[in-house]
Amino acid sequence: MGTATGIIRALNSGIKHIAMKRFTLRYPEEKLKFVGDGYQFDPSTGVGIAGLKGRHMLFHDHCTGCQLCSIACEGVAEAIAMVKVPEEQKQNKKSIMPQIDYGKCVFCGLCVDACPFYALYMTNDYELSSFSKEGLIYTPAQLQVKPYVAQDSEIQISDRGATHG
Amino acid sequence: MTFNLPSGLALQKVDERIMTLNVGPQHPGSGHMRIIVQIDGDYIVACDPDPGYVHRGEEKMAEYRNYITNIPHLERPVIHDSCNVLYPYVLGAEELLGIEVPERAKYVRVIASELNRCIYIMYWLAIYGIFLGHSTMFMWPAGDRELLIDLMEKMTGARVTHAHFVPGGVRNDLPPNFEDVCLRQVNYFEKRIKEYAAIFYDNPILIARTRDTGVLSRQDAIRYGTTGSVLRASGVDYDLRVKEPYDVYDELDVHTNVMKEGDSYARSKIPWLDMLESCNIIRQALQKMPKSGSVRVKLKPNPKTKGLESVYKRVESGRGSLGCYIVSDGKVEPYRVKLSVPSFRNLIALPNLLKGEKLGNMPSVYWSLNYWPVEADR
Repeated sequence: MGTATGIIRALNSGIKHIAMKRFTLRYPEEKLKFVGDGYQFDPSTGVGIAGLKGRHMLFHDHCTGCQLCSIACEGVAEAIAMVKVPEEQKQNKKSIMPQIDYGKCVFCGLCVDACPFYALYMTNDYELSSFSKEGLIYTPAQLQVKPYVAQDSEIQISDRGATHG
Repeated sequence: MTFNLPSGLALQKVDERIMTLNVGPQHPGSGHMRIIVQIDGDYIVACDPDPGYVHRGEEKMAEYRNYITNIPHLERPVIHDSCNVLYPYVLGAEELLGIEVPERAKYVRVIASELNRCIYIMYWLAIYGIFLGHSTMFMWPAGDRELLIDLMEKMTGARVTHAHFVPGGVRNDLPPNFEDVCLRQVNYFEKRIKEYAAIFYDNPILIARTRDTGVLSRQDAIRYGTTGSVLRASGVDYDLRVKEPYDVYDELDVHTNVMKEGDSYARSKIPWLDMLESCNIIRQALQKMPKSGSVRVKLKPNPKTKGLESVYKRVESGRGSLGCYIVSDGKVEPYRVKLSVPSFRNLIALPNLLKGEKLGNMPSVYWSLNYWPVEADR
């Protein structure tokens, strides 16, 4: 194959893409769709349930203050600290609950695997940026809130290429 | 005129005609690494790669964490290939802890590992394209990589650092309907990467720039101890997935790609052929995988090993054979973890490949070695 033919074929390969759909996800307007409600763990079988490893969610009525999540995080990110629960909120036996610093968290989800009481799950919320370091520290009361995550875009494949539709 | 060279390097003081040039460590064409080259006009006389700028002490850190909490940090050396870089550690830990892995988990691991290999190679190919001034070859792989990252996100819940493999299987089962989505996206991905042939690999400009540059002969490739795509580009048929099959690779039909030339072109084409082979392996694994069953063995919270033991396991990663040597002394933490990484082995060939080359060929020769600075320094 001659040099000229090769270059024309290369150009032709690129030109074909004018007719193809755009693959780019226009992020703030469109958001990706995830499977499920986030990563969860079933301690009775010892196997997790697939989902995005995003911000945690704490169920106050299940948490006993056993500190296993904090111990699991010790060698990883040391992001979980056990803090005193204010008196007006729901108490557990030790009246301590995890507080998570998302400036340190690496979203590995080993704390979720460690919880034997179905109290700590992960959610699809990934937009956690803040203007201050304090804003990244989530107290037990903040972790209790179930986040609303817009999910409207999924990869779709057609004859004219893949696109986020 | 004298040069103050750092002590302990292989370069000697030279005469005025020859200039010493530091490429890196901030140069975009070298990654977090310095390549000291001595040039006579446009030709490289001698070269000394100087790695070590991103040493993180992963091996020392592993001595203070138990077998489970080691997982998130041991996958950091190559975040794009995080399943493969963790694979030998997990296999070794399983042997030390005496765990038998369920059949379905082995197939899930193989799929995750092959997807990760493609993700790594796509990233590598994007940078190879931009090194050669081919902007389209930067945009296409970076975009098509998203297809596989989306699959990994569905499977593991994270886009790059998955922390998915654990001693005893994988963290979670596949999401519902994953097989169909995976098959559809992998088929489309294969169709896309076949289009790279016309624009990149059969492109006369690329061939002119990479053919017969940095030739590594078969004898030298074996003598330096190179692995992976560098070794296979020099005509040695060696792939651990075939030679020492781990998990379920012995049940799958794996074909090894070998090229005889040993130049930059062959070294850049072998990873691309590997990706096509990976697509085949994923399709086979999806077909042969047991449709149901456990994916993880339940472990005690802080698993302990039996006593003073050591184990060496290695896998074929996106760059070559990646080994992990674990010594245990019966405690919850390993006594010593040593990673034997392919990037560092392939780097040994660089000074000899660059001798006599033009300086303009340096990026193409250097990056064709499938080198990842962070992994070499670990």
